[in-house]
Amino acid sequence: MAELTQNEKRLLATLEKEKKADAPHLAGLMGATPEAVVQWAHLAEDKGLVAVDRIVVKEFVYTDEGKEYAKNGLPETQLFRFILPGTMLSDLQKHEAFRIGFGQLRKKGLIRVEGTSVVKVAGASTDIDESALRNPAEGNPSTKELLKRGILEECETVRNVIAITPSGLALVIKGLDLREETGTLTREQIISGEWKNLNLRKYDVSKLPKKAYPGKIHPYQRIIAEMRQILLEMGFEELYGGIVQQSFWNFDALFQPQDHPAREMQDTFYLKETLPLPEGYEKVKAMHISGGETSSTGWGGMWREEKAEQCVLRTHTTSVSIQHLAQNLKPPVKAFCVGRVYRRETIDTTHLAEFEQLEGIVMDENVTFGNLLGILREFYNRMGFESVRFKPSFYPYTEPSLDAEVYVEGIGWIEMGGAGVFREEVTAPLGVQYPVLAWGLGVSRIAMLRLGLKDLRLLHKSDVAFLRETPSLRHSKGGL
Amino acid sequence: MAVITLPYKYLERLTRTDKKTILEKVPLIGSDVERVEEDHADVEFFPDRPDLFSPEGVARAMRGYLGIETGLPTYPVKPSGIKFTVDPQLATIRPVLGVAVIRGVSFDDESIQSIMSLQESLHWAVGRGRSKVAIGIHDMDTVKPPFHYIASRRSRGFIPLDFSEKMTMDEILEKHPKGRDYAKIVKDFPLFPLIVDDDDHVLSFPPIINGERTRVTIDTKNILLDTTGTDPRAVSVAVNIICTAMAEAGASIESVEIGGIQTPTLAPSERVLSVSECSRILGVSLTPASMAGYLQRMRFGAEPSGPEKVRVQVPCYRADIMHDWDIFEDVAIAYGYDKLESQPPKTYTVGKPHPVQVNAALAREAFTGLGYLEVMPFTLTNEDVLYTRMQREETKGVLRVMHPISIENTVVRTELLPLLLEFLTLNRHRELPQNLFSVGDVVLDCHTHQQAAGVSTHPDADFSEAYASADAVLHELSIDYLVKESADPAFIDGRRGDIIVAGKKVGVFGEIHPAVLNAFELEHPVAAFEFDLRAVPGYPAL
Repeated sequence: MAELTQNEKRLLATLEKEKKADAPHLAGLMGATPEAVVQWAHLAEDKGLVAVDRIVVKEFVYTDEGKEYAKNGLPETQLFRFILPGTMLSDLQKHEAFRIGFGQLRKKGLIRVEGTSVVKVAGASTDIDESALRNPAEGNPSTKELLKRGILEECETVRNVIAITPSGLALVIKGLDLREETGTLTREQIISGEWKNLNLRKYDVSKLPKKAYPGKIHPYQRIIAEMRQILLEMGFEELYGGIVQQSFWNFDALFQPQDHPAREMQDTFYLKETLPLPEGYEKVKAMHISGGETSSTGWGGMWREEKAEQCVLRTHTTSVSIQHLAQNLKPPVKAFCVGRVYRRETIDTTHLAEFEQLEGIVMDENVTFGNLLGILREFYNRMGFESVRFKPSFYPYTEPSLDAEVYVEGIGWIEMGGAGVFREEVTAPLGVQYPVLAWGLGVSRIAMLRLGLKDLRLLHKSDVAFLRETPSLRHSKGGL
Repeated sequence: MAVITLPYKYLERLTRTDKKTILEKVPLIGSDVERVEEDHADVEFFPDRPDLFSPEGVARAMRGYLGIETGLPTYPVKPSGIKFTVDPQLATIRPVLGVAVIRGVSFDDESIQSIMSLQESLHWAVGRGRSKVAIGIHDMDTVKPPFHYIASRRSRGFIPLDFSEKMTMDEILEKHPKGRDYAKIVKDFPLFPLIVDDDDHVLSFPPIINGERTRVTIDTKNILLDTTGTDPRAVSVAVNIICTAMAEAGASIESVEIGGIQTPTLAPSERVLSVSECSRILGVSLTPASMAGYLQRMRFGAEPSGPEKVRVQVPCYRADIMHDWDIFEDVAIAYGYDKLESQPPKTYTVGKPHPVQVNAALAREAFTGLGYLEVMPFTLTNEDVLYTRMQREETKGVLRVMHPISIENTVVRTELLPLLLEFLTLNRHRELPQNLFSVGDVVLDCHTHQQAAGVSTHPDADFSEAYASADAVLHELSIDYLVKESADPAFIDGRRGDIIVAGKKVGVFGEIHPAVLNAFELEHPVAAFEFDLRAVPGYPAL
């Protein structure tokens, strides 16, 4: 049996003498409110120590209007008393009860208007209504009428009769510790040793705690942090770069032809700002036009400096890693970058105009396409996806290219990201001597699956309740 | 992405195998099977392989991949004896012309649909929406050779496809649906490109619309193909893709003479590839013979040439082969991505986080320690949120995107605090107190840097709380700061302070101004602060 609170004990002690009493009476004896007594009684009732008999009594009470009539009589009574033989209607109209009373008297057929005077009907009386007002009773049609007129109100009152049960009585007879209980210990009680004499209140552990909300990082940030951690463990160096990039680094250096549809205004956010082209840009230009000194044919046609100088909101973080590569020609280079990227897409539940991309590169003397598959397999395995497969794909700046898919129980194969070996058209103009493996993945896709979101916008316009309720440690299974 | 409809019966006849095998293997050459229906499948191919945008092209590739018919497909071309003249005035308008005669076609409704959709896919993938390449196909028996590609006055009229009366070319650009769609390609030229026959009948007004006269129907037996554009390579590959697809379907191809040259030839181009380079890139050990074998399965002509080389003939329809490595990818596909040995590289390297992210993580730790909850707002926002509602002047260096998608997303954020207030608005119905923070990128004048901001709202939020929280976070990041009275109109006068580091303002804190609370429709006081993370000692220069 759960511990008794001090108040339950006091109630039982009171009931030892009273045996059975209603709540207000017990409240008087215990110096508490009847509500508190009922509450304690219910607790004790759960333990089988008392029985609470809840008696519902229907009562009629006077409204403010009704209170006045109870004192002075109903308006019709007041008016009725006023009518004497020969009373004129005009006299009656001056009476304060006329407005309500006159209608009532007419309706009940107690008076008659004869020319300009008012006459009582023989044997007429308002006694029935007056008695219904003073002694209202269920089923009395006059009482019902008074309810309708808003003079009386029906009101339920609850009477709680509390009785001690035999087991309650047995417990009391066994003896109760009725010492005052101590809730929060004070500093004095602790240092003086007084605590030894105190009856420390015991709390009910079966009750739910009050909610406390810890400060924490965003669940999406946590997924990003997990991916960063994996890549750091895999020996990658982290990069950080600007959101605003020159078209040259975002597109041209990656051998995206200047007339490529992705470069159009409807797919990319352009800014009116421009930046001067980097030194040696001519090599990139030559690559576009004729393939430079490689076995490539290039794109042919025109390559305009003005187009390359235009600033854009980066469409991928590859614009950051390609600059890192251009500045770090000595192998090995193993780097990654996580950051916001921008596509001019109409925003809906699965498309955002801005989202996180994770992207990595590996440049080394003898790295192969097979190594790229190995890196991806390792990364996805560490993310918890046990089955990974690869299939041919196409990206403008890699060759060969692939898409990685992971298997998720209950969903099937899900495309997770693209990868490939940077085209020689990309690496040669920068002076890169060795193959560069590159791969990227949409972080939000994994977040959406893992957090069970139906709407990607919630990552960025989050409901605080969602953030509070999502635990920091999620038991992930099969990567999700 | 191009989604191609593949009718099973036709595909099975061309491929010479069953549909189950085809559908199972077609993703392995680079595609996604989108839908499998009763009588056809819709399959998506990549934009670099327009030669796969027809059932004929897919069947050709699959015969090779499945080993049913390997090596270079050859397409005989006979001279048709037909000539085409090109008006020199077109040099600055739409200079490039590619032509072919396709004889002995047998159309039904389905195959006309198929050639039309190939044409449309090519317009998209190779033609850049018809500006680079536009294709027209004509019933050749309705017109009389020789043909003339001329620069015509804009007022000349003819009956365009799907119309019954004559319209001038200017009217077509205004009234014909295709005219409206593609007007921007030609509208600024003084003269318009036009193809006419020897009797001056109009075949086509490229890149806009054909004439009604040469409409292709199920009775059409012989086709004249015209392809115009600005890029010779793109025009030629479009001609080759259509001709070889039609040849696969049973038609015969004839060339046309333009300026003394017979075109098309449908001849392959040649490359000599290094076997060791291919082995090195893919991480597979290859011999000249094995590599040639893989390439033959991908429909290249390939034979070993000495101990280290393979001589390759590239089919004329392959638009994607620009570089030797493009062919290495085909070797990998034939070898099978699933058979490649996937091993991470062996070189020893050390992982290293970027200092910006290390600092951001420390800031997050300080905020969460104070009970703040992280939010990650969008970086695209608008002037109303950033400045108007904040009662602030526009921040110098704010960037506006040139073509925003909506009025909600017009600028890149220059501060985080307004976005946090917007978050509080969003969460008004949630339990208080609410303490939110964000650490992230802001952009000024094309330069990105990180800031950190926090807000706290509850009935007792005040200046002292803002000061205490700001002080705690700044202290955790070892930022040695002074405070001066602030004039930031987003805060209440006398309840705001500027955070000063080395004589420079790096942030602000205080109690948000009630007018700002009204603007964000907030009902409780907000204690807030924001600072520039570049104030962290030793912060990396970017």
